[in-house]
Amino acid sequence: MMPISASAAAASMDKVLLHHCVSLSMKAHHSSTSPFLLHSLSAPSPCSIFAFAGSWSADDWIDGDHAPFGASDIDSLLFPSLKNLVSDVPAAVNMPFLRSFQLILEASRLQAEVSKAVAEKKQIVFTGHSSGGAISVLAAIWLLEKHLKTDNGNHNVPFCITFGSPLIGDNLFCQALQREDWSSCFLHFVMTMDIVPRIPLAPLASLKEELQSILQFICPKSSCLSSNSFEISQLLSRFYFTVLRNALTISNHQSCLSMGCATSLLGNLSGFIKFSPYKPFGTYVFCCNNGRLVSVKNSDAILQMLFYCLREEKADDPYRSFKEHLQYESKLKSYLEVQNVVHGDYLQANELFSSEMNPDEMPLVETFLNDLDMGKDAWLHLHAAAEWEMQKFRNQKRIDANYSKIQEALNALDNYRAMCELRGLCYYDAFKLQRDTEDFNANVKRLELAGLWDEIIEMLSRFELPDRFEGRNDWVKLGTRYCLLVEPLDIANYYRHSKNEDTGPYMVKGRPRRYKFTQRWGEHAQRMPKGSSLESCFWAMVEEISADMNNKKPFVEVKERVLELEKNVSAWLDSGKLGSDVLLGGSTFVKWWMALPKQHKLSSCIARIMSRVEKSG
Amino acid sequence: MREEEGPMFETSHVLGGLLVSTPILPCAWKQCMLANSTNTAFFVQQVDDVVYVGFSAVQAMSSVAGVPDGRFFSTMPVGHGLFSPLVREEDDGEPLLFHASSLHLFMALCNSPQFQMLANEVQNKAVIFTGHSVGGSLASLAALYFLCLASYSNSLAPASLLCVTFGSPLLGNEALALAILRERWGDKFCHLVAQHDIMPRLLFCPPNSIDPQLVAHMLQSWQLAMRYPHLVKNTIMQFSDEEKEGLFQFVAMHVDKAATETHGSLYKPFGSYVMCSKEGAVYVDNSDVVLRLLYLTFAAGCGNHSVEDEHLFYGDLLLTITQQLLVKKQFFIQEEAPKSYYSAGVQQALGALGIGFQDMEAVEAQECLRISKRMWQNPNLKCANLAIKLAKVTPCRAQIEWYKASCDDDMGYYDTYKQRKASKREFKVNINRIKLAQFWNEVINMLQDNLLPSDFDKKGKWVNASQFYMLLVEPLDIAEYYKTGMHKRKGHYISHGRERRYQVFDKWWKTRNKYTVDTKRSKYAGLTQDSCFWAKVEEAREWVEEVKRGRDATGLTDLCQKLISFEFYAKELISRKEVSIDVLAPRSSYTLWNAEWNSLKAELGFKSNLDIGFL
Repeated sequence: MMPISASAAAASMDKVLLHHCVSLSMKAHHSSTSPFLLHSLSAPSPCSIFAFAGSWSADDWIDGDHAPFGASDIDSLLFPSLKNLVSDVPAAVNMPFLRSFQLILEASRLQAEVSKAVAEKKQIVFTGHSSGGAISVLAAIWLLEKHLKTDNGNHNVPFCITFGSPLIGDNLFCQALQREDWSSCFLHFVMTMDIVPRIPLAPLASLKEELQSILQFICPKSSCLSSNSFEISQLLSRFYFTVLRNALTISNHQSCLSMGCATSLLGNLSGFIKFSPYKPFGTYVFCCNNGRLVSVKNSDAILQMLFYCLREEKADDPYRSFKEHLQYESKLKSYLEVQNVVHGDYLQANELFSSEMNPDEMPLVETFLNDLDMGKDAWLHLHAAAEWEMQKFRNQKRIDANYSKIQEALNALDNYRAMCELRGLCYYDAFKLQRDTEDFNANVKRLELAGLWDEIIEMLSRFELPDRFEGRNDWVKLGTRYCLLVEPLDIANYYRHSKNEDTGPYMVKGRPRRYKFTQRWGEHAQRMPKGSSLESCFWAMVEEISADMNNKKPFVEVKERVLELEKNVSAWLDSGKLGSDVLLGGSTFVKWWMALPKQHKLSSCIARIMSRVEKSG
Repeated sequence: MREEEGPMFETSHVLGGLLVSTPILPCAWKQCMLANSTNTAFFVQQVDDVVYVGFSAVQAMSSVAGVPDGRFFSTMPVGHGLFSPLVREEDDGEPLLFHASSLHLFMALCNSPQFQMLANEVQNKAVIFTGHSVGGSLASLAALYFLCLASYSNSLAPASLLCVTFGSPLLGNEALALAILRERWGDKFCHLVAQHDIMPRLLFCPPNSIDPQLVAHMLQSWQLAMRYPHLVKNTIMQFSDEEKEGLFQFVAMHVDKAATETHGSLYKPFGSYVMCSKEGAVYVDNSDVVLRLLYLTFAAGCGNHSVEDEHLFYGDLLLTITQQLLVKKQFFIQEEAPKSYYSAGVQQALGALGIGFQDMEAVEAQECLRISKRMWQNPNLKCANLAIKLAKVTPCRAQIEWYKASCDDDMGYYDTYKQRKASKREFKVNINRIKLAQFWNEVINMLQDNLLPSDFDKKGKWVNASQFYMLLVEPLDIAEYYKTGMHKRKGHYISHGRERRYQVFDKWWKTRNKYTVDTKRSKYAGLTQDSCFWAKVEEAREWVEEVKRGRDATGLTDLCQKLISFEFYAKELISRKEVSIDVLAPRSSYTLWNAEWNSLKAELGFKSNLDIGFL
């Protein structure tokens, strides 16, 4: 089933749905019995809306243990996909929000109700206002992860609509959502001046008391908002400027990166100050004061807008940015009355803008800046964000152009392998011997491929390709094929030059990143744990055990590794991940087997296969 | 990866804005004020995880402000000792000079017990050294002291270090600026300079060119204002409008001269500067550009500025800039729409410098920013492109490997190549050898020009690739050297013919993160682990010849000793299997030498190496 993207829903402006979501989100704050409200719709399509209540206690927004910004590693049992694939570093998330969600999951009827709705094949929508929005985000990802596990691909993709939700996850969070192609499930409505989405940009741990007063002030259950005391306006004004100043820091920091500024000062500074880790993800819809809605998907651009929209010409009304937090229901409803379509995706990576400015675009820029009431110095920063995104797509295009080149080289190596087999040799051994011109040619192919892949890996590790890249099926497949076919050649080369003797074992010291990456892509696509498909490293394991045995290590010391390897070999041979050419006479593997103690061989799990080899040999 | 098509965005004002928006600068300023209010030379305070060390400008000023004899302008050389990493033997250029008054103060401070305690307090911490005015010079010297310390021993030094100065006078000459650049310490120094502050520009004036009385008066009144910040300022400094106007013009002239003439001034800015105006802040890290901008910003909008306010109130200036950045701007700074992102950015940067687009200085300031931007091209990008180039030349290396394998069993790799006749195969190898040399020379040059990331020589990829290249190709270079008889003209390879790149690679390899293996080699190494092995063989062969020819007793002992020690070295290498099999090929130079040397030993009549003593 095609995923229904949230932005598509917004574009077609399923007004009825949005009306329900925003009303329900506000109503949820007042529910005293359940942390969420459930509402079912039958038209236009059967659908269940889960609306989460926000919290107005500072303890639910920030805790001192994860100072200064309250972010910490996400629960990887609940959210196994939210991490960097290769390093396995989990995404960081606002801890109190995560805790609240975990609590709701354990203690409420959420799981039961969601399962029921899923079973009824209903479209599920999670929604929430303020910190309720943050909870709804986690709920949506939780369900997406759950769907992955059950894996019958027959689910309605849930989506999530938030109103004035604070930022919740870091860079990795945002990247993982892109990679999994989940970003399109998230739609965030933000009033241009609402301070709450920006609050996490400030180091809240040191502002907790102020935050508590602020939350009391903006809590929809209280009616403080009308009280105009001097102290309150002082407090609001101070808090507004603190958040604004921190947003400026983040905006400038981000701009330096997207503008390609290379000074090492940035790295140096991080030794002295912590920057807020939070990043926007999904689609943001800014609700402008002139009644227009502007939607943006580019994360860096959204971050810029969060700062530039918050500025004022004269900060004379300290209440404004706090009041806006409570105006979603009234304003959005009136906007939707007149609004037909959201602005086009102006800051997306399309080829609309070239690197030199196009005079035709200026009117567009003008309306855009006017709608958002942003001030004209903002546009450079927005364009830097857009340019950076576009550059990533240009890079991807260049890399895509190498796809067929890689394929051809792999075909050539496939032929090499087949030819070796005809000659009665395993290609690993033939390559290690390097006796014939074919072997030399294969080596040149190996080096060419290494160059092509290293370029990709280099770009990925510097985030110069679109986040989606590591989830792309075509590249994952090609990577897996590359890893399986070519890594044995790298291993052969390593042991041919005895590099293990001066550098260390291949697996520890010699394994290039290009294989670590491609192996992980394949594993992740199959939802296998990290390091579970090591078949491309088969030869390194054989070589290491041989080396240890040649160095007269007693068999007991290597026995465990031998058993492990034998178990793997029998599985890999069965699944075809390991070609039968490893069993060709005189191969390093067969020699390895021969050298094992007789006693052990008799009881080995591959004894049957190997005895056949021994006989034929 | 951005294409290298010229700068697309101007970022100097964005960086400036970033710095100003962080708590670091206001916090540093607060520490400066605290230090001024104490009676000590410096004041230490920890704020969150960062240790701030503020140097008192009041204390420092009291020792320099006294004498009206122009001494304030003089420099003095710094000997070896405290700052020796800054002084390099190979530097045959100018000696390193420091502002004499500041250096004297620091030397005295350095020996004080408090300073010794400071060393303990900053160990392994994140430390910010800061100071206002002359206090800033002391902060810079202290920062330099600890940076130098760190290059001897990491354990004693701060974990990370930053130096922030406010309106400090210049500290050193061009040799200092170059040394900072070479050590890549530029981003550890942030010098804030207000647009019309005289102090950071004062030392561009030649000694005794300004009335010493006037300078003394100025320094004294600054000191007074720092000590008693609450005094009504008008009662402190009494400059007539004419005096002031004259002073500004005089300083402006000399800053201009320093920037435009080659030997315009002894002093030169070092590290990076944050040029502050009321409109914003601009971060510049190129000394020449800083120098020029020090003039241009000073000259622009040069109206009626207060000598004291500009130098004294950096705290207020920081506040003003932050407020400025937090206010929405509804207009372009320039009237017409800009032509490109870059030129729009430059307009904003000019505004932040306090230079109006109609000012005379605008055109030149734009050019300055452009130059500074060009210097900034991304080292990581360069490194990535280099990696792609490396992948392209690697097949050349593979061809040489292939060649080596084909001639290992008779004469061996080295000798086959050395005695090659005009053949297609060796011709190709030679071309590959030259291509590789070109590539690696380019790498070395880029590194030298600071175009690559600072940890480039620590990256495993490059250390390993260069080492492999050296072990494979240097023997060919040696063969070429001896084949063409270069050793007769220039002397032996190791001391007279070795390319610089190999020396650099040797250094990388020696300082790499080593993996210690205790296993012995099971077979001969793929490549001889001493890339100069063949050069040593060539020298040893010459010694044998000399022994045969000469036979005068004194030289003989010496030669035999050298031969024995080489024999010992080679045998050791072979027994550890650290040589490639080609060394032992039946007709290799080494095999031949070994035979000759053995028969020579028999001829000379000693059976064991111990006999040498009796010769």
